[in-house]
Amino acid sequence: MELDLFISGIGGQGIQLVGKSLALAAIRDGRHVMLAGEYGGHMRGGSSVGTVVIGARPLKALPILPHAGSAIAMSHLFWARVGSRLRPGSLVLAEATIAADLPCMDKHILVTLPATAIATEQGSRMAAGMVMLGAYAALTGAVKIDSAVAAMAEQIPAYRRQHIDANERAIRAGAAAVTPLTYKVDFDAQEARVA
Amino acid sequence: MPMRLMDGSEAIVEAAIMAGLRFYAGYPMSPATELLEYMAEKLPHHDGVCINAATEIEGVNMALGAAAGGFRAASGSCGQGLALMQEAIAEAALNETPIVIFNMARNQQDYFQATRGGGWGDYRTITLAPKDLHEAVEHAQLAFHLADKYRVPVIFMGDNLLARTQMGTELPDLELEPLPEKDWQLDGTSGGSGMSRQIWTFGCGKTNNPGPGPSLHWERIATKFDAIAEVEARHEQGFVEDAETLVVAFGSGGKFVEHVVREMRADGHKVGYFRPITLWPFPGDALEAASHGCKRVLVFELNAGQMIDDVKLNVLDRKLVKAIGGVSFDESGLNLGPLMDAGVIRERIELAINGASK
Repeated sequence: MELDLFISGIGGQGIQLVGKSLALAAIRDGRHVMLAGEYGGHMRGGSSVGTVVIGARPLKALPILPHAGSAIAMSHLFWARVGSRLRPGSLVLAEATIAADLPCMDKHILVTLPATAIATEQGSRMAAGMVMLGAYAALTGAVKIDSAVAAMAEQIPAYRRQHIDANERAIRAGAAAVTPLTYKVDFDAQEARVA
Repeated sequence: MPMRLMDGSEAIVEAAIMAGLRFYAGYPMSPATELLEYMAEKLPHHDGVCINAATEIEGVNMALGAAAGGFRAASGSCGQGLALMQEAIAEAALNETPIVIFNMARNQQDYFQATRGGGWGDYRTITLAPKDLHEAVEHAQLAFHLADKYRVPVIFMGDNLLARTQMGTELPDLELEPLPEKDWQLDGTSGGSGMSRQIWTFGCGKTNNPGPGPSLHWERIATKFDAIAEVEARHEQGFVEDAETLVVAFGSGGKFVEHVVREMRADGHKVGYFRPITLWPFPGDALEAASHGCKRVLVFELNAGQMIDDVKLNVLDRKLVKAIGGVSFDESGLNLGPLMDAGVIRERIELAINGASK
């Protein structure tokens, strides 16, 4: 199967960094990967959406996904365009403080996580996206946690290298904060399987 | 080789350099800017030169010059930039200089420009329209091969989805037939080498080595394009054998249509897809065969109707041909709009089928 994911939030929350880290981690794990975004103007405070598809074989996914089976929600703003494209029974990993504002969650598997609070405990409030990355990886088995850490460090620009340690702590804290049993991806299966 | 995560622009540049590209000159224009940026970053590490020209006209003529010297050379922009390059592209066709022009298009309103051209003369441009990054890295190599093989300009037709979507890729090295030496290339000899090299559009040579002259030269060029049309048309098709409805689309649109057709087949609809891989030469004979017995031939393209002309020229009963695409941009005017969407495409195909049965 192909694991498909929307990451939705506000420009400045590190949405694109989460997507890129996940994609690079999957490459490290030997997977096939597609990473797509919205190609209008990106700006702080505006909508930011990333799309990641991971598979064991060459991907069939379109660069604009009509539907996906999972999502990371960092904000309730701009959620509608992502929420309306989730297949019933999707995993939605949501920041705890905004989860109540996401509509139609009764159709999906909602996992909430106080990512901003956890990131703050780990020393960087800005690393909430990294907490979500670690949590998503642990929940789904999409990528190895060590691969996620290495992928984050690999792409961080030189002028931000001081954030690598806090980001790593955030990824590992996120992974530790969830129980990996609600939804597990089996890349070798022909169809999606929700345990 | 392990996979690397690259956007289409970077993958195309890497593949072009693998194919021997050594000179690129272009002017930035979204969504072709990244192509120029990657060229500037990577070409100097491969004995190559990249120049950010002052205009598209300057860039394409620089590429023409480098190609006349025997180097694999290219320019690129989006369709609006290619509009400015038309004279040089026609010149390259008529003076038989192989160059590659990358069109990272904003949309699909570039079909006529690519397949008809806006320059002067009896010429055509081979146009490769890949559906995704994996095909694009092959086409980036094939483009230079075909350009050299026939001494013609070749257009590589991409779009913003291709340019910016990132995928894990291994950059396969295409095995292509060996080509003859470029005995026509200018070698920088001053004072006369004793060998006349034909790099002039009119086909006239020197007093002691006269060329064919304009009439014979241009006739020979036209005959060459006829010969290319005979052998270089490429296409992909699926589920055409028992299809009642055939959907024709190119580039990214072809990938979306293929996806939708597979879905509809799984739901029991007798639908097939046909994708021209070369927009010129248009795979007309293959389309004629694929559309045989169909009740309708639907054309999905993000423009007001351009490729549909070629479809009508090749489907035996042109009254079966209907447009299901249209003009579709996002708010910026720089990107594909909401029509490039699997759900929307499926709705339009179903509407065409159900509307016709009422």
